[in-house]
Amino acid sequence: MFHWLEKHPFFFSVLVFAVVAFAGLIEIVPSFAQQSRPVIGTKPYTTLQLTGRQVYIKNGCNTCHSQLIRPFKSETDRYGHYSVSGEYAYDRPFLWGSKRTGPDLMRVGNYRTTDWHENHMKDPASVVPGSLMPKYTWLYKNVADVDTAYAEQLTVQRFFDVPYNKPLPMKDGSKETVKLAATLAGARAEALADAKLITANMKDQDVKDMVKEGKIPEIVALIAYLNSLK
Amino acid sequence: MNKIYLWGVIITAVMLGFTYMSVLGSKGGLNGDIINILTVAAAAALVIITIFVVIKYVRQMQVDTATGELAEESWDGIGEYKNNVPFGWAIIFLGTMVWATWYFVIGYPVNAFSQIGQYNEEVAVQNKKFEAKYASITGDRLVEMGESVFLAECAVCHGISADGNDGAAANLNQRLEVKTVKHVIEHGSKNNLLYAGSEMPDRNGLMNANKNYAPITDAEIDTVASYVANGMTGPGADVFAGVCSSCHGTDGKGIDGVAPNIAEFTPAFVVNILNHGKKGVIGTMPKLDKLNKKQKEAVGAYVTSLSK
Amino acid sequence: MENRFKDRPLEYDYSVTKLFMWATIVLGIVGMLVGVIIAWELAFPAVNTMFGSAIAEYTNFSRLRPLHTNAVAYGFTLSGVWASWYYIGQRVLKVSMAESKFLMFIGKAHFYIYAVAVVGVVVSLLLGYTTSKEYAELEWPMDIGIVVIWVLWGISIAGLIGIRREKAIYISIWYFIATFLAIAMLYIFNDMEIPTYFASGGIGNWFHSVSMYSGSNDAMVQWWFGHNAVAFVFTTPIIALIYYFLPKESGQAVYSYKLSLLSFWGLMFVYLWAGGHHVLYSTVPDWVQTMGSVFSIVLILPSWGSAINMLLTMKGEWQQVASSPLIKFMVLGSTFYMFSTLEGPVQAIKSVNAIAHFTDWIVGHVHDGVLGWVAFMIIAALYHMAPRVFKREIYSKSLMSTQFWIQTLGIVLYFTSMWIAGITQGMMWRAHDEFGNLAYSFIDTVTVLHPYYTLRAIGGTLYLIGFIMFAYNIFKTMSARPVEEDELVNASPMGA
Ligand code: HEC
Ligand code: HEC
Ligand code: HEC
Ligand code: HEM
Ligand code: HEM
Ligand SMILES: [Ca+2]
Ligand SMILES: [Ca+2]
Ligand SMILES: [Cu+2]
Repeated sequence: MFHWLEKHPFFFSVLVFAVVAFAGLIEIVPSFAQQSRPVIGTKPYTTLQLTGRQVYIKNGCNTCHSQLIRPFKSETDRYGHYSVSGEYAYDRPFLWGSKRTGPDLMRVGNYRTTDWHENHMKDPASVVPGSLMPKYTWLYKNVADVDTAYAEQLTVQRFFDVPYNKPLPMKDGSKETVKLAATLAGARAEALADAKLITANMKDQDVKDMVKEGKIPEIVALIAYLNSLK
Repeated sequence: MNKIYLWGVIITAVMLGFTYMSVLGSKGGLNGDIINILTVAAAAALVIITIFVVIKYVRQMQVDTATGELAEESWDGIGEYKNNVPFGWAIIFLGTMVWATWYFVIGYPVNAFSQIGQYNEEVAVQNKKFEAKYASITGDRLVEMGESVFLAECAVCHGISADGNDGAAANLNQRLEVKTVKHVIEHGSKNNLLYAGSEMPDRNGLMNANKNYAPITDAEIDTVASYVANGMTGPGADVFAGVCSSCHGTDGKGIDGVAPNIAEFTPAFVVNILNHGKKGVIGTMPKLDKLNKKQKEAVGAYVTSLSK
Repeated sequence: MENRFKDRPLEYDYSVTKLFMWATIVLGIVGMLVGVIIAWELAFPAVNTMFGSAIAEYTNFSRLRPLHTNAVAYGFTLSGVWASWYYIGQRVLKVSMAESKFLMFIGKAHFYIYAVAVVGVVVSLLLGYTTSKEYAELEWPMDIGIVVIWVLWGISIAGLIGIRREKAIYISIWYFIATFLAIAMLYIFNDMEIPTYFASGGIGNWFHSVSMYSGSNDAMVQWWFGHNAVAFVFTTPIIALIYYFLPKESGQAVYSYKLSLLSFWGLMFVYLWAGGHHVLYSTVPDWVQTMGSVFSIVLILPSWGSAINMLLTMKGEWQQVASSPLIKFMVLGSTFYMFSTLEGPVQAIKSVNAIAHFTDWIVGHVHDGVLGWVAFMIIAALYHMAPRVFKREIYSKSLMSTQFWIQTLGIVLYFTSMWIAGITQGMMWRAHDEFGNLAYSFIDTVTVLHPYYTLRAIGGTLYLIGFIMFAYNIFKTMSARPVEEDELVNASPMGA
């Protein structure tokens, strides 16, 4: 049979394709069917947080940092509760990473703070001697792209029913709503208001001045995102 | 012995030596950890198998000759022998396929492995081991344990020598710094330092009993701040007595349920900070839920020991 | 069949091969240079700002790393594969590109569109336009370019096969076909994304997109892709190369057709199951993970089948291995292929992965494969093709030999250092002290790696130096040697 196939490349190709596609069908399709549902307490990202997430991706933080706490005592001791599938329900793309040159960041919002990040991102080795993380000085000058984050929010709300403006159950039994502005101007204003809350805990005068002028530096958005990782 | 085997042995020895070094390099060594042991065993097998299998084929290159019946076809001058597949390879391939099929159909479904179950067991074992141990850790040993927690969890902010890392976090070698005291007097404090909801008023609520309850002045703030930061010594004792002692006690060591000890660290105070976090003039210290009770107690003892 | 044309030898047309050979060399240098830079950045973080703080945004580790992986995988490797395809394809199918204007046009279009896309990729990655998915970083406009390039290659495969004179297709062609089909399927499914600009009615950046899958599902699709991108970029097309170039250069017949056959179909069947080994102990279903582990073990056999077949092809030919650096590249290449396809399954065992995952041991495994197998095979392929394409003997055999040893030393430094670094770090992360606390802060586990990172950077630099020697050798071959009149058959002619 194989000899025949080797003389009939079309059928050969069909068979190769079938054999190759087979595993994907068996493994991926059934697991997809049981959609990953958000666990209680998981919220979609606000405009500023999502802007920060894009800053994170743009700067390749995922090349050194994972966001996946595996169920081993050594990891839960270091980073907190192991990851649960539903916590990632609003993560597009997922950011698990595959290399921990730096520590996991899945719950970094629990044990690091705005002022710490401010110092650390500017010059990691001055805060943690021996760190080999690059200095991200440009984040303090570049203006963050809030519009694209807003566009992404609208997209996921529309195509994937991400529940913005809907009360969501929290762990303590309360309900919380993540607002999504109706207009771009509204989204910008909300992001700016959130940015002001962050800069209140920051020291860099240039950053504070930029926010006063209505511009959000990338670092502020990034910190909003890092603080949201819990 | 043939040179090539000698090389094989040398390379294997070097690679295994490296693996051994990397185990030593990790302070704990194998540590009786089954995962560590398996990893090292697998790494060793990996080297040995590859090297000796390759040597087997190199020997064939050296001494054997190519034989077999050629297939009729040839492509751009490349011919193919109709040799059979190597027997060992065929058997192992078949064996692993059967094993994989068995695993897929029976092995996995019947085993009911769950990684979270495995985790719960691991944690239970560890907890049991240390619960017994924790009871007996006290005194200097507790401080020692606290230091190990401190280095792993706190040093990133407070620095390895707990000096606050150039002002990035609080200097824990002394109870309070001038700027903190000043800030607290001017703005008050709402850090749950004593109990959830404990609060100190800002300067508008601080009156000097010695001066007919006049609001505290800028000059008084300066003096009393350095008085407190200097460990309750130097000028400013009078202001302290007039403004602060009613809550913090005449010696600054606090009054139960009224105000915290500001003369020195106490383990309970530190534990409270670890439970609630603290926001002040330097920045924000997070609460650290990932530490267990004993770890908090230990690090409390360690921090307290620093300024003694 | 074959005899029909014996009296009229075919004039193969290597113009597309030549173009891709240049791309291989240029992108090889670029990709590995970036690799060397990021290796030094991890050893000495000051290198991040070495080119000036003003442009550190573009030269720091995190911006350059995806550029490295893309440049070596889709730049260097694919160019090498395509150079070889346009060479091998004609020869084993017995047709010349010159016979079909259409296929010639497709081949040229394939190259030039690819060249434009390469520029686009470099610029967009430097600017930070990325979807973050490993080996699938490119945003949607680039994806469209990739699809066009892939389709052109597909047409070229189908076209050459369509007008072939050799009825049965050779083993190398099997692997080229598999590469084409599998990547087409994987790439399309993994890159399903919605451009937000259009979906939101014109807000924000026009090339930004959002993935169709979220969280664990996204991870599962990504690593089903990622694992097989490795399989069908770093493995199957390289096997296609060795099945042609080793027998051809050595003049030996392939050891066993049956072994070729079983290895091929075995590999096709087993490879796709193994992707789960990238998400062990994650939040994807347990059984997907377990299948990943189990089939990774099975995968040793079809992988080793090809390697053994090649080693046995050299049976009794030790003097060739000893005397020809070109054959050395291929024999050591098979050996590294065996090593990494045993190392991979070892790392896929759940308990081992508990330590190995997230560490430098994985990076070591990657480079065993890519430096020792992929790049060595591509280098060998170019060395074999150069005399035939340029009709000149290879400029210098001793240079080639020196290159071989320098690069081999580079690989040894690379993988031993990453091997130690990975196991050390993995064990330190797990270690608890006598009180049951974590024994090390994270930074402790970073600073211990400094010597190993330095060694790796040295190893990588050696490898790059070897590669530059290779580029020089090829350049001199085409420019400094007299034309060879005779048809070259097996062993490539080499100057001293
Ligand atoms: C070259 C590798 C590298 C890159 C790229 C990198 N980091 Fe890091 N990161 C590290 C290392 C190593 C550490 C541990 C030492 C330290 O804290 O500085 C670290 C620590 C951190 C921490 C502290 C986490 C903790 O638990 O202590 C945060 C937060 C962080 N990085 C965020 C980022 C962000 C955000 C980016 C991208 C903009 C980034 N990192 C890019 C290597 C890197
Ligand atoms: C009305 C009672 C009251 C008075 C008067 C008072 N304090 Fe306090 N103080 C508190 C309470 C309650 C807290 C704890 C607040 C919290 O939980 O954040 C506190 C906290 C502090 C702290 C913060 C300790 C830390 O580690 O951050 C300092 C410093 C302090 N007081 C200094 C003073 C000084 C100096 C004065 C006099 C000028 C003073 N206090 C007067 C009630 C008082
Ligand atoms: C993310 C950074 C961070 C980490 C981690 C951290 N701290 Fe702090 N800590 C701070 C900052 C910032 C302050 C100062 C807050 C202020 O008063 O402005 C502080 C204050 C404190 C104080 C109060 C000092 C005082 O006199 O009021 C104590 C006690 C303390 N930390 C102990 C610890 C211990 C113990 C740990 C670890 C188990 C720890 N911290 C981890 C940032 C951190
Ligand atoms: C039998 C064959 C192989 C198996 C079973 C295998 C298995 C693995 C495993 C278990 C990982 C680590 C996943 C993790 O924990 O992060 C991995 C990573 C990797 N392997 Fe292999 N491997 C094989 C062959 C190869 C070969 C031949 C190459 C290249 C030539 C290769 C290239 C890679 C790459 C690039 C990665 C890194 C993926 C990432 O970015 O995380 N593998 N492989
Ligand atoms: C000059 C030689 C090279 C050097 C110095 C080098 C260096 C590096 C470095 C430093 C990394 C990042 C590792 C990390 O994040 O810790 C890396 C990743 C990678 N390199 Fe190379 N590299 C070289 C050649 C190559 C070649 C030739 C290829 C492929 C043909 C390649 C493929 C890869 C891949 C796939 C990764 C990603 C691995 C992963 O994510 O696990 N490299 N390389
Ligand atoms: Ca990776
Ligand atoms: Ca894409
Ligand atoms: Cu894989």
